[in-house]
Amino acid sequence: MDEKPRILVVDDEPQITRVLRRSLATHNYEVRVAAEGEAALELFGDWTPDLVVTDLSMPNMDGLELCRRLRAISQLPIIVLSAKGEEKIKVEALDAGADDYVTKPFGMDELLARVRAALRRRASTPAGATTTSIEQGDFRLDLKAHTVYLRDREVHLTPKEYDLLLYFIRNHDKVLTHRMLLAAIWGGNYVEQTEYLRVFVGQLRKKIETDPATPRYILTEPWIGYRFDPSGRTSPHAFKSSG
Amino acid sequence: MVDLNQSFMKALTGFAKKRGAGYLLAVLGIAAVVAALAPFNNRINTTTVALALLLVVLFTAALWGSRPALVASVLGMLCFNFFFLPPVGTFTIQDPQNWVALTAFFITAITAGQLSARAQRRAEEAVAGRREIERLYEELRAAFERASHAEALRQSERLKSALLDAVTHDLRTPLTSIKASATTLLDEYNGAGRELIMLDAEGRQELLEVIDEEADRLNRFIENLVELARIEAGEMSLRRRWGAVDEIISTALTRAEAITRQHKVEVEIEREMPSVRVDARAVAEIVYTLVDNAAKYSPAGTRIKVVAKRAPEQMIEIAVEDEGCGIPEELRERVFDKFFRATYNMMADSNRPAGIGMGLTIARGIVEAHGGRIWIEDGPGGCGTRIAFTVPVGDEEPTDAEQVAE
Repeated sequence: MDEKPRILVVDDEPQITRVLRRSLATHNYEVRVAAEGEAALELFGDWTPDLVVTDLSMPNMDGLELCRRLRAISQLPIIVLSAKGEEKIKVEALDAGADDYVTKPFGMDELLARVRAALRRRASTPAGATTTSIEQGDFRLDLKAHTVYLRDREVHLTPKEYDLLLYFIRNHDKVLTHRMLLAAIWGGNYVEQTEYLRVFVGQLRKKIETDPATPRYILTEPWIGYRFDPSGRTSPHAFKSSG
Repeated sequence: MVDLNQSFMKALTGFAKKRGAGYLLAVLGIAAVVAALAPFNNRINTTTVALALLLVVLFTAALWGSRPALVASVLGMLCFNFFFLPPVGTFTIQDPQNWVALTAFFITAITAGQLSARAQRRAEEAVAGRREIERLYEELRAAFERASHAEALRQSERLKSALLDAVTHDLRTPLTSIKASATTLLDEYNGAGRELIMLDAEGRQELLEVIDEEADRLNRFIENLVELARIEAGEMSLRRRWGAVDEIISTALTRAEAITRQHKVEVEIEREMPSVRVDARAVAEIVYTLVDNAAKYSPAGTRIKVVAKRAPEQMIEIAVEDEGCGIPEELRERVFDKFFRATYNMMADSNRPAGIGMGLTIARGIVEAHGGRIWIEDGPGGCGTRIAFTVPVGDEEPTDAEQVAE
């Protein structure tokens, strides 16, 4: 019998933690709750969660700081709860290592979809990667020959497109900011050139998406970056923020 | 006849101001002096003549500048020679002394004329210079005003933006709980067979409670905003009724039960408190706000004490004491400011809106509308906070309007 995945919820609003505890438990997760960053870190020591959901704006230690502190000691998935008008700090949190975000107010189905995606990533990363090939969802990459197979048909990519796809696959089901992608593929000098990235993503989409206008693999996170879903089966609406 | 004279004079002065006129009048001036003095040639001194002519030169220089003065000097010299130096009627000079006199006259005339003109010019320049300085000063002042106006505008924009953030934060927080609860409950109904939803009766109850409580919270927030707006506009209408102080306090504490669960609440009411004629709902609101603040800003397990007693001058005093960290003296006036929390956060330049903070402002509005006072002191024993307010006992008979409104 599998153990229930453990989720640590951090928020200074008691009513929100009350609802999240109840709702996540109902969906078969084991939940613990902390009202602020320090308490969360203490709890982390005794009871290692599989995933952390944290609010961004909290007194004393805010969500951004908590992300940094958590990332220093673990690679576990982190989802942040942000409010509209917190764009800058949200991107900072993602850059600091948060995997995903949800905008308040959110429907539970939205949060749950992101939780599932984040846990999927955590589960698959160690297993699906060997030194010579990577298999993820519909994709298979031969790392030695630099070839790509999508649903068992070969796709011909330019070197940069290949690098981009590889990075997407290695960081699947996670929100990747423009800055992260540009830094990883093109290096530090290009981190401001989002237009450049857009062009490349467009080209990659043309080659791997059945309908580039409604992408299933490379999903856009408006103003933030992109998210890669290797299965292409998750409905795009599952990740749509309300409002 | 008068009009004709006036316009003639105007034309004349207008003409006189022109440069060209200067030359003409210089010549006329010299001619006039010569004509006046020539007949008396035998009896008057050449010095007199020289000085008279010199006067014309000076006059000309002062009024029309250096060039007409030069003309006057030259003409003056020639006339001096022709009409006054023997032999009269010729340009020759018999007496060598008169050569000296003539030359001296000439040089003096030229120099005096030039100096006079220069002085005049300097004076005009000084005036122009001063005018220029005044103009520049005006411009500088106007620019400075504009800059500080722009700065004030920017400050008020930033304040508006901070307030907007604070308001939306206070509105979105309860909405978040409501939406999360509602969608969880809906999930159960919509099944979708994705996973087993184990929502039992207790769980359902809790989620519905949250929806209810948070809806109340939203409502309260909106009411506070409206009340604050009314206080600002001076449109507070109080309904004063005779009532008991202990009832008001117990109403407030009942309402505050949920938030004071983690504190020890004590009540101390002086014996034989008079009935008071106040707006009971509003005063209870004040007590609730003070107790709410005490609970928020003091650690769990500490004591919150509500005290009521008589005060001098037909007032009663109600105070709420807590054992928290206290409010520093320099902030004790400012916490009553509208939107203090939001502006405090803005000054600290935090990107975290922590709600608006209207409670104390509204409390003060109510207290002052009753004719009382509200202030902050150190808590008993020197630590913690004590917020006290007074309201008058009241002694008028109820007005007709108040009786009807019942």
